[in-house]
Parts: sequence; structure tokens; C-alpha cells
Amino acid sequence: MSSENVSTRGTILHLQRLSTEDGPGIRTTVFFKGCTLRCEWCHNPESLSRHRQVQWLANRCIGCASCVAACEVHSLTLTVEGIVRDRGLCVTCGRCVEACPSGAMEMLGKEVSAAELTAELLKDRAYFEKSGGGVTLSGGEPTLQPAFCAALMDALHAEGVHVALDTCGLSAPGVFSELAAKADLILFDLKLMNPDEHKRWTGADNSRILRNLEIARDFVSRSGGAKRLWIRTPLIPGATTAPDNLAGISAYLGASFDGSVERWELCAFNNLCRDKYERLGMRWTFAETELLTAQQLTQMGEWARSGGFDPSRTFVTGAAKAS
Amino acid sequence: MSTQTTDKPRFEIKAPRNLSERISWLRDYYFEGVNRKWNNEYISYTTGTDWDFQYNELSFYIVPETYFYIPTFRSSFKQLARPVTLHDDFWKWSLPERRAWFLKEVLLKYHPKEILPGDLLAGARFNVMASHCLNQKEAKAYDKMIYGKKGARAAMLWFHNHGYGNTGATSGHLVPGYARVIEHGWKAIHADIQAHYDALPPAQQKDKKGAQLRAMLTASTLARDLAAEYQALLVSLAHAEQDPMRKTELEQMAHNLSRVPWEPAETFWQAVQSLWLTHMLVIADECYPGPGVSFGRIDQYLNPFWERSLAEGMQREFGKEILKCFWVHCNTAYDAMIQTGGNQGITAGYGQLLTLSGAGKSGADMTNDLTFAMLEVIDEMTPILEPKPNVRLHRGTPDDLLTKVVDMISSSQGAPFLLNFDERSMAGMMLEARKAGVEHLIHAENVHEYAPVGCLENTMVGNDRSGTVDDNLNLLKAVELTLTGGYDLNPVVDALSGKAEKPRRDGENSGDPASFTTWEQFWEAYALQTRYIIRKSVETYERSEEIRAKYFQTPYVSCLVKGCAESGKDINEGGAELGFVTIEGVTFATTVDSLLAVKYLVFDQAICTMNQLVQALRDNWVGHEKLQAIALYKAPKYGRDEDDADAMARQVMALWTEETWKHKTASTGRQFRPGMLSWNYWIAYSDILAASPDGRAKGKFLSNALCPSNGADINGPTANTNSVGKAMGGKSPDGNGDWQEYLSMLPNGGSHTITFNPSILRDPEHKEKFKAYLRGYIENGGSALQINMLNADMLRDAQLHPEDYRHLLVRVTGYNAYFTAIGKELQDEIIARESHQM
Repeated sequence: MSSENVSTRGTILHLQRLSTEDGPGIRTTVFFKGCTLRCEWCHNPESLSRHRQVQWLANRCIGCASCVAACEVHSLTLTVEGIVRDRGLCVTCGRCVEACPSGAMEMLGKEVSAAELTAELLKDRAYFEKSGGGVTLSGGEPTLQPAFCAALMDALHAEGVHVALDTCGLSAPGVFSELAAKADLILFDLKLMNPDEHKRWTGADNSRILRNLEIARDFVSRSGGAKRLWIRTPLIPGATTAPDNLAGISAYLGASFDGSVERWELCAFNNLCRDKYERLGMRWTFAETELLTAQQLTQMGEWARSGGFDPSRTFVTGAAKAS
Repeated sequence: MSTQTTDKPRFEIKAPRNLSERISWLRDYYFEGVNRKWNNEYISYTTGTDWDFQYNELSFYIVPETYFYIPTFRSSFKQLARPVTLHDDFWKWSLPERRAWFLKEVLLKYHPKEILPGDLLAGARFNVMASHCLNQKEAKAYDKMIYGKKGARAAMLWFHNHGYGNTGATSGHLVPGYARVIEHGWKAIHADIQAHYDALPPAQQKDKKGAQLRAMLTASTLARDLAAEYQALLVSLAHAEQDPMRKTELEQMAHNLSRVPWEPAETFWQAVQSLWLTHMLVIADECYPGPGVSFGRIDQYLNPFWERSLAEGMQREFGKEILKCFWVHCNTAYDAMIQTGGNQGITAGYGQLLTLSGAGKSGADMTNDLTFAMLEVIDEMTPILEPKPNVRLHRGTPDDLLTKVVDMISSSQGAPFLLNFDERSMAGMMLEARKAGVEHLIHAENVHEYAPVGCLENTMVGNDRSGTVDDNLNLLKAVELTLTGGYDLNPVVDALSGKAEKPRRDGENSGDPASFTTWEQFWEAYALQTRYIIRKSVETYERSEEIRAKYFQTPYVSCLVKGCAESGKDINEGGAELGFVTIEGVTFATTVDSLLAVKYLVFDQAICTMNQLVQALRDNWVGHEKLQAIALYKAPKYGRDEDDADAMARQVMALWTEETWKHKTASTGRQFRPGMLSWNYWIAYSDILAASPDGRAKGKFLSNALCPSNGADINGPTANTNSVGKAMGGKSPDGNGDWQEYLSMLPNGGSHTITFNPSILRDPEHKEKFKAYLRGYIENGGSALQINMLNADMLRDAQLHPEDYRHLLVRVTGYNAYFTAIGKELQDEIIARESHQM
């Protein structure tokens, strides 16, 4: 790898160490900033925009108004409800974040080089090695920053670290091919089979996504077991949970992916991101939606297992509503 | 035990299981606490003189909560004491001979002996408050050394009140040579002492050495003669017993006692009986109910007997039944003051620690069937406080042991044991060997025989007293003194008169910090003050060490510690082959974070001046909230796996540990060594120590042992773990550490607690990941880990409905407590502590 590559810079949100939900073993998940889809249920709304954003956390604020004084474009006001930002005026310069003593003003998105990030990720190498884990690139959509993503994957591979690519599948086929070829594991999101429904809920139809999934499959089948492919489907009440959608995905996977998809995970809806939307001044379609019950999750698992894909490779994960 | 509520608790609490009727009865009876007819409460005994006393206050100088009661304890034990008819020559004997004779007389002729229903082990009452056996002249001298203007008590209180910490010569906290008794019998020890006595020239027989050895000779037949008393009792009980099954048991117990502990044990039952009787008499000799008197590698030295008895037809479950009786016996230590403290005794662990598994020679794994049997016993008896188990993990730990460990963590409310990590621990012990010049006693061939005592304090076995709780030093005090050039930041106010002390420079004159222009100048001043507080703690400790050496011999314990017979010195005179006093550094992360904050605020970022910072601390941050927020949230912190901050941690560690090695006790020649156990001092001193530069206000908790400051470990458990490993010394870059590539500046080891959310163990796949985390801890972490597994909702529910959670155990620095029995302040703290989600 050339030194040019490792100096490639990208924008990430944060790292989640000791992650146990993003692939095999103990992993560190890198959340990339910026996504190609706009799923209405998105659990990481801060990852949608490719640009940096500033958020204010009420519970950390000590009310000193240092941020108000620091803002050169006068976009901030201290009110009885806390700090209010005029997003029309804000130029995301970060002066308020610097001025804030208590970490209540937070910059979402930081630029790092592949080399810096690799050094940070290697700190948990011992846990990766003991668990058969590694690093998962997630987001947002990692393939939206292809050069950075590729440089990072190369740098990690040079250190012998297993790399998983967690993708929504929407990217130019050339870009996708290059990055999928580098991944040891592809975590591929497949949300809806019906193209119109897909467009309605995510802003794009699924034709390119399905084509990329086939590319991923071909890499995996040709790798002789060296590469793995997992499919993930979020269980979003009223959006993805219809029996024909789940059985449809199952049928689709069963028809031409049975030998190459190691695992299909159905991930239960959760509402922990509700506050994130509020902080970013965004509206969330699912703000009032309740968690799925254990009974519903079981039912959805049955639909998924009835469509044709290997039931023993089909898993339902995540928390159910407390009974 | 039944709860008085009709509502079903929202969460299930681990319940004991697979207990026989016998064990259920014994266990339930134990938990009846104060309502029991039988108990093991202290009985006090006196020589009958006016000046006599029993209570050894020195052992409680490290328990600030008791300071207020010391005079009361001393006088009430004295008032309640039963007179013992003395031998005609009693007052002609030396002090150790008087003590040995007195204890033996009390236990054989005065102290009650009973066998509890169904019990398989004899030896029930052992909490005695025996006379100090001082003559009038000795008592006067003793009192002067304690109460005089320059006495131990005043020095100890000054040290405490000014926030330095606490220190005192404390009993317990060792692994006696139990394996020798079990394998060779007390008769071998007796013969050995006799041989040493006979070898002394007549002149020496008449002086101190001879007297000590004669005292030990008396002590070395105590267990034999007490066994004979119990044997006679069992014979008569067997005679009267109607149930043929129980009759056979009683007869076998009597038979066991006709052999052990004087003779070598032949069966597993005899081995456990020998161990128990020998152990409980250690507690009796020190008049100290259990703390830290530890069993060492019990699954190793009992295993030959376990295997032999299994081969000879003992049912495995019956072997476990014997162990369960042993478990119940250990718990009765807490009856010592049961009427005084309500059920206080059974709400907190005392640390009769046993060690399971671990590495053997050349890294071989030593796990055996008894290891698993004992883990099953723990699993089936839990929740119960004693004995406290410690499982040793290392690179060669087999997968099935780790599986069992993780299964038990997942089914309890947190690990029902502590985990000790061999590689890091052995690196520390090897460093100790080098620093103290005892490589002939601790070396690559035997270092694996180490075992922790109390909570997690690593020592060698059967020849080592390392004073592991005797000197508890708040490292943060040195930062305070640096900020003032040697003065207390806030004057100490007398609680009774309300009068503030006049400012006095107690510390070093390290210069006006406002005049420092570089961080390095500040560091040098800090180093000067650190040397001072260590010296101060050593001097303060010496006051009580000297008194104990002169006036409180424990000849029975000395029989069980190699070096005492050889040197003719009591263990309390420094007779053990390995004699250390451990300075337990307290407030480590608060200290590191405070230094990081000074560097960040004053020198690197110039956010404030030194005078502004000092003023903010004097004002306890009131009116300086913005600066406080910057200190709390923007200054770097230890515990995040950030190399710069962790380098500061390592620098602080190197400074204070190097300084510690420079000191020895004057009276007994014991070498000081470093460790990090905080017990509950990080809470106790939060109200005494002034506000600190890390943003902590006075009254807010300090950091616990090696753990990052509360809330500082924002990068999760692996980052937290990595920081702790680095602070202890990390690994040698060239691969040549003190043990393999490992380094550790803390031979005693350090306490590390991480709280996990139970969801991380929700299914077999996640359990495998947790096992891998533990294997990663072996590589990157510290010497000892306590895993808490709780859920904030569950704890809040327990606060609201304590009646439903009577048995909910929480663990704080190797210190077990029933959650509902601890104060709300600490409950809130436990809830607030970040609960890591994996």
C-alpha cells in the first residue's frame, strides 16, 4: 500500500469498541458519515449527511452561554428551553463546540486519515484475535467514501485484521465491486423486495442494490469459503414486517443465494434513537412506534423461515417490548 | 429465608439450589442471624488484673468507621470478660508464653464446644477476645505508646484527619501453611519447633528466642488437644444418637478427630476437618474474625485427598457436602459482633479467600476435578459471602473452565468470584523478588505458587506476611500539597470545638506553584510531595508496628508461617521469611486526572492561571462552574486507552512505587511494597480530601483502586482494560518482561472492577464473545478483575422495594455487600456507575 493511500482522509462519526452485534467475535465498528439511502426509520440519523453537524445535548449544558458568545454568525440563543440554533445561519464552523466547557455542544463527524484510524483500531487487536473478531465498517454508508474505505481496508489487512463491510448496497457497481472484493465479510442490508415500497421508504428503488448483492454473492462463491456474506433486514413495524416482504426476501435468498449467504439476521426495531432526531431538529416517522412484542418477533421469524431460505440460518435479533 | 411480600419481584435473583436437607438447614439457620440460639459471638476472657484488656485497637486503625468506638470496644470487652484461673507460674513466663498458654486454656477449658445438627465438621466457636496477658509494667508501657502525645493513636488520627489515609498493624491477611498441616500433621510442626529449640545454645534458650519457641511449642499442641475435646463430645453424641445414619456420621467424625489435625490426613473428609480446625484457630489466636486469613490454592493441596477418597468409594456429592459444611463454617466468623451490629456481620464479606485453578510450573494448567467441584459448590450455595473464591486465569486456561466461569457469571448477579490473572500477577511477584533481594524465595520455579489474600492481594504461601491492608495512602494528597507548597488546601476543623487548625507547612516546601512556568516544574514539586506522603505513612505505620512487635505476639499463627521457628521470632516481630508491608495507593485515577487537568488547564491550554485554579479548589468550585466543567469534560482522563493520558498514569505509578521500595519498618525490618486496593476508602475520604483539579468537588467520590474515575471510561470495557494494563506496566517492548513479556509495578496487584449489562451474556454466541474478552484481559489487562453484572432498572427497583431484594449481592472492590443493606449514597453510586452495554 502506498503512503498516499494511508494519508487518505475520511469523515467518521465515532468508534464502537467491544461491539458484539456487527459480525463474528468482538469487533470495533467504525461509523462512517454520509449515506446513499434515506430510510425513514434510520436509527443513526446523524450518519445521513456527509457533512459535519453540530448538536446540543441538554443534559450536559451548564447554561454558561459560552457558545452564544463564541458564535460569529449569531445563530445561537439561550432560551428557557436551552440553546436554540438557527440552522439557516449556522455555518458549522465549530466555534461553539470549542467554546463549550461541558461537552454539551458536540460536533458530529470528524476527519481522520486511514493511518490514524488504523492505529486506533489496532488497540483492540488482542480481543479481535481471541474472539475471531475484527473491524466492521458501518455507518452511514462506507462505500460513499470509497478511497478512504479502500485505504482503511488495505491498512487493516496489512495488519492481519478481519474486516467486515456493513453496507446498504446502494453504490455505483464499480465502487461496490472494488470494496466488496476487499471485505472478508459483507453485511448486506436487504430491506424490502418490492421496488415501489423500497422507493417509498428509503428514497431509492432496489434494482441497483439487488445487482450489487449479486456481485457480493459472486465474490463470496468464488472465494472458496474465505469470504462470507450475511444479510440483514430491519424489522420496522408497518414498513418491512409484512409477511409477503419477509417471505419474499426469504424466497429471493432461497432461490439463488442458499450456498453463499451464511446468515440472515432480522433485527428488531428499537426506539433508542428518538432523542437523536430531536437533537438534530429532525422529525422521525417512528417516534411514537412501540417496540415489537416477543410474540410478533416469533411470528415474523416464522414468516421468514417459510419462504425458502434455510431456516437454520435465519435469526431474529434485538430486544422485544418488555411484557 | 422468606420475604414478607406477596408481589412477585420483577427480576429473578439467583437462588441457592441442589442443597441437601442438611445443608439447606445449616444455611437457612445461619441466615437467621441474630435470631439464632447458637452463635459464634465473641466471648471475652481476662487474667483478672485491673490493667487487663482484650481489644487490639491496632487492627482497626485501618477502619475509620470504628475510630469513634475504640474506647467503647476496649472497655466493654473488658467489662464482659470472664476470669480465667491462671497457672501458678503465669506471671513468671515471658509474654508470648503467657499468650500461648492463656489461649489454649480458654479454648480447652472455658470456650463452649458444640456440633450443629447435621454438621460434618467439628469446630464451631472460635471468636474469642483473649486477654493481652500484659503485666502491669507492660500495660503501662503499652498504653503510653498508644495514648501518649506521640502515641500511635494520635499519629493515626492526624494522618486520617488530614486526608493522607490510614495505617496500622493489622491482623489476618496471609495464607498460613495449611498444606503442611494437612499433609504432615501438627506433629511435624511440633517436632520441628522442638528441634529448633533444642538446637539453641542454653543461653539463648533462656532469652527471647527460647521464650518464643516455648510459646510456639505450647501453641503447636492446641489443635491436637482441642480435637480431643471435640472427639469426646462426638463420641457421646454418637452414643445418644437414634438415627443410624447420623450415628455413623458422628462416629466417623469422632474417628477423624482421633487422627487429625495432629496426624497427616488420610481421607478428604479428614483433610477438610484438619484444615478447618487449623484455620479457625488462626482467627482465635489473633482475636480477629477472619479478615484476609486465606486458604491459598485449596484445589491443589486438597486434590490428592479428593482423588484418593473418590477412588476409595466416596460419592462425589458427599465430598461436595463436606465442602458445603466448610462453607457454612467460614461464614460463622461474622458472628463475632452479631448482637452489636444487628446482622451487620452477614452483610459484608471479610475475605477468607480461596484460590482455584491457575498456572503451575512452566505455565501448565492446574485445573482439576476438585476445581470444578468447588465451583459447583459455589454455584449451588450462592448467594453466600464466604469463603470468597478467586479463580486464577492464564494463557493456558482450558476452555471448559472458562465456559463454567462465564456460565456462573451469567447466572449470578455478577461473578460470584474474583478473577486473578497469573501472567500480570507473577510479573509483579518477580519484581518484588528483585526489589527486595529475595530471589531465593520467589523465582521462576516457584512464583506460580503465589496466592491472593483478602480480596486480591498477591502473596507467597506459608512464609509470607505482606501487610496487605496496613497502609492505605491517598496519593491525591500529594497533588494538594503541591498546589499550596506544602499546606492543607483547607484547614482541618475540629469536629467538637469547630475550631480550624492554624495553617502549618506539613509537607515539603516545594515552591509557590504560581511561579512555575513549565509543567516539568510542577511535576518535580509533585514528586517531592509524593516522597513526603510516603515517608509520612511509613513513619505513622511504624508506631503501631513497634507496639505490636513488643506486645502482641501470636505464637499459634507463627507455627504456621515459615521463618518464625527458624528465626525464633514471632510473625509479629518480623519472623516470616517474607515480610512486607503493602502501601495500597488509593485515589489513583483522581490523582492522574488531576495532574492531567493541571497540565491541560494551566500549562498546555492556558485556560486559567495557577492561582485561579487554586482559588476554585478552595471554593470547592462554587462560582467556578465553567472551569470545573472544562476540568471534568475537556481535560484528558485516564481510562480511555488514550496513550498520552495513560502515559501520565504510568509516570505516576512509577514515581510512587519506586519511592515505596525505599522504605522498611524500623522495628521489624519489613520491606514496603506497592499495591492498589481501595477497599471503601474512595468513598470514606471523599468528604475529607479537598476538591481536586480533575473537576471533582469535595464530597464527590474519589476513584476506586486502579479503575478510571467514575464516568471517565467513555470508550468501553476494552479501552478501560487496556488503560489499566498500561498503568500497571504493560508489556516489555523487547519481550523480556518480569514474567514472559509482562511487567507489573504492583506485586500486590490492583483491584479493577467493570460493570457489564447482563445482556452481553444473553445467548451461547455472546457467552463465547465474553470468554474471548476474558482471554483478551489476560493479554492486556491488570492482575485482578471483578465483574459486576447489573442493570440500573433492577437496582432502582431494589431501592424502592428492598424487601424483594434482600439477597441481591453487589461487589465493590472485592468487597461483597447485600445491596439493600448498604446506604443510599453508595446505592446511588452503584447505579450511576456506567453500565457497559456490549
